Amino acid sequence: MAELRAELVELLPRLRRFARVLARDAHDADDLVQTAIERALAHAGQLRADAPLAGWMFGILRNAWIDEQRARGRRGRVFAAAELGEQVADPAHGAPLETLAVQDAVARLPQEQRLAVALVLVEGLSYKEAAHIMEVPIGTLTSRLARAREALQAMLGERDGA
Amino acid sequence: MTFSDETLNAYVDGELDAATRAALEAAMTTDPQLAPRIARQRALRAQVRAAFAPVLTEPVPERLLASVRGAPGRAGNVVAFQARPRPRWSWPQWGAMAASLIVGVLLGPLLLRPSAPQAPLETSGGRVLASGALAGALSQQLASSQPPGAPVAIGVSFRARSGGYCRTFLLREAQPLAGLACRAGPAWQVVALAQSELPGTGSGYRQAGSALPPAVSRTLDELILGEPLDAAGESTARAAGWKP
Repeated sequence: MAELRAELVELLPRLRRFARVLARDAHDADDLVQTAIERALAHAGQLRADAPLAGWMFGILRNAWIDEQRARGRRGRVFAAAELGEQVADPAHGAPLETLAVQDAVARLPQEQRLAVALVLVEGLSYKEAAHIMEVPIGTLTSRLARAREALQAMLGERDGA
Repeated sequence: MTFSDETLNAYVDGELDAATRAALEAAMTTDPQLAPRIARQRALRAQVRAAFAPVLTEPVPERLLASVRGAPGRAGNVVAFQARPRPRWSWPQWGAMAASLIVGVLLGPLLLRPSAPQAPLETSGGRVLASGALAGALSQQLASSQPPGAPVAIGVSFRARSGGYCRTFLLREAQPLAGLACRAGPAWQVVALAQSELPGTGSGYRQAGSALPPAVSRTLDELILGEPLDAAGESTARAAGWKP
């Protein structure tokens, strides 16, 4: 267990990044990470010795995110585009414009496409690993990824002059 | 032969099987549309990755460290053991990266070569620097006009997010090595190095692609700002002594 905790500490920066792609808002993202850690420690016995911890944790975090989205839906708290716009304009964040534009474009993707982007483009996982975490066939993953790329390019294209 | 967007995506994601990859790379030399399509996908991948990269270097909130320790609510406790993660590397700190990204390569024989040809690498202050013919090629050789079979082949040159220039290279040793070096003052620091699966032939595009070993192409994705330099950009950067 001590070993698991040490590995989790090492993994925290990547978990936070993964959650940030999904949830956008830094506080919401850290809430997701915290939920995932608590679930992981409660079910540590289910981690197979030969399975990579990162993949297992991404799966737990993904499930926590989906649960959270469903709960939000039930409460009627769905992100509106205007709400996203306000976050982009938040000067306290201080990130370069291009970074904000990309984050904003990713946040506008449908959930399943955003997940594919987070796992493959940001985390650099293989198609096989990503499809396993998303619990879909590889063909489904690649078509979501292709649609996500088209959408991102359409949203970002004007800025690049491409 | 035409290639679907999904095939190009798979190429950029390093997921193509060897046969399709070879066919695609061969087509790139004859189809002028192909390389820009691939470059666009590669740039998008790098752009998305870069947009979220800063999260890695943010300090991790104490509440998350506490939940890993299984002691929520004891935030005021003195942290007696090294629970806080080491800060991750940031763009200018090539040095911290060097050791971890040299994958499956025995450095000893490359550093300690007793006689000619001169060793291609040297260490300085814990960093791995290019030396001898490798350093010369990184400073002088242009991917657009390099002799076939030269001891070092230059792949792509690009501007890193930190502002400086970096170049990928193939070292035609008995066991070919592919790597990525970034300009650090007057020297070239080798920030990634791995065994190459390719024979040391082919044009710049071959090495520009996913044919690079994963450790090297991942580093490229992490560092690159925008798209690789074209032949004119490469030439201009060389004329400026690779000063940003």
